[in-house]
Amino acid sequence: MKRFYLFGFLLLMGFDTLAQISFKYAGTQALPVAASLEWVLRVFGQPWVYGAVIGYIGAFFTWMALLKHAPIGPAFAASHLEVVSVMLLSVWLFDEHLNAARVLGAIAIIAGIVCLGMAESREHVPEPAEA
Amino acid sequence: MMPAEGSISSLVAGLWLLNIVLDTGGQLAFKAAAGDEAAGDGLARWKHMASRPWLWLGIASYVIEFLVWIAFLSLIPLSEGVLLGSINIVAIMVAGRFLFGEKLTRLRVTGILLVTLGVVIVGVGG
Repeated sequence: MKRFYLFGFLLLMGFDTLAQISFKYAGTQALPVAASLEWVLRVFGQPWVYGAVIGYIGAFFTWMALLKHAPIGPAFAASHLEVVSVMLLSVWLFDEHLNAARVLGAIAIIAGIVCLGMAESREHVPEPAEA
Repeated sequence: MMPAEGSISSLVAGLWLLNIVLDTGGQLAFKAAAGDEAAGDGLARWKHMASRPWLWLGIASYVIEFLVWIAFLSLIPLSEGVLLGSINIVAIMVAGRFLFGEKLTRLRVTGILLVTLGVVIVGVGG
């Protein structure tokens, strides 16, 4: 069953990562930003925005399936740890640089997410069997 | 013009704030729609939710947020954008505390402070 959870968490991260990468591509191709119908049409006129839609829908159903079986704490953490995969991929795909602020900030954010995941786990511990 | 890397223009800051408001507002609207005790079960529950504004408010918030997030990410590096977006986790927990009286345990407060600290570091230092 552990392998099932692990696969589910990775799938969730994969869908979230796909969504963020697609958002970036979609936004870049629709530049310049304007509060106009033209901009919205540019966004929906190229394929990447649909990658974002697929990522969102995939993440939604993976999340719902995970919540039925997996412990909520790790599921919560996994649903937010895509920041790591997205950061690493943006170095590779978009030639971005990870400066000290981003690395330090990411470490603090990840530590925070782990704390919040642990807090969720603690609140949803199964009732101890009566002695 | 793309803003220089590391500098946060007022447009980017405005989109970031709008994203927080829409994300938190959307989640709270869904919570209000789903948590309505009078809603009943099954199809009746969906009919009840569809006849009241909360569900639609939530959907509208998410549709607009989708566009706001695309605009936001097109103006700054993706690695910076996803980190700054982590503040939504904090906003929702704080809103849940005030509106639904959800408990903030010490571990949760620590998590909230760490995520906030990380977002501040990225926001200040790029």
